[in-house]
Amino acid sequence: MEETGAGFRKELVSKLLHLHFKEDKTKVSGDALQLTAELLKIFVIEAAIRSVRQAQAEELGCVDLDQLEKVLPQLLLDF
Amino acid sequence: MMEEEEGAEEQQRFSYRQRLKAAVHYTVGCLCEEVASDKEVQFSKQTIAAISEVTFRQCENFARDLEMFARHAKRSTINTEDVKLLARRSNSLLKYITERNEDIAQFNLERKAKKKKKLEDENKNSVEPAEAGAVESED
Repeated sequence: MEETGAGFRKELVSKLLHLHFKEDKTKVSGDALQLTAELLKIFVIEAAIRSVRQAQAEELGCVDLDQLEKVLPQLLLDF
Repeated sequence: MMEEEEGAEEQQRFSYRQRLKAAVHYTVGCLCEEVASDKEVQFSKQTIAAISEVTFRQCENFARDLEMFARHAKRSTINTEDVKLLARRSNSLLKYITERNEDIAQFNLERKAKKKKKLEDENKNSVEPAEAGAVESED
């Protein structure tokens, strides 16, 4: 399984999920943690890449909040 | 006395949350940097911070949904089927996550097979030739 650089560590994902569970007995399987880490990674990359495309469309070299704000609604609808 | 304890606990919860946010922010920063160098653009610091905020909040949605999906299936352990449900809103996302799930399963299977083989090899080496017949044979 190729690891392309950065990503969310399993322990971090576990802590993030457990922070919001309502029941003490809720657990997460190892595979599910890995898959959630992948999902989070894609979420961030999508946010980043869509913002870049927006900036490119506006012919800007720097991606700022304005570009992110424009792509955020559709991003949240897709997830 | 009780109030002080509650205050301290509140403070602890807050700093724990802040530490998690910082960890998320670090990973988000790394990922954005990869995208930035690949696309030859720059992200403003505020943009990275904002993506980080949104990601942290998205985790809450994910956690709640996952817990409910597992509970709906009368389980207390969240599994990969629950995670795949999170990706249901976009066809391409669902396809991607399903593929990654297969990669993960395959990778773990191969790793287990390697470990098992290694253990068997070590057992064979430490066991006397006369007892070799008692060692578990491979399928």
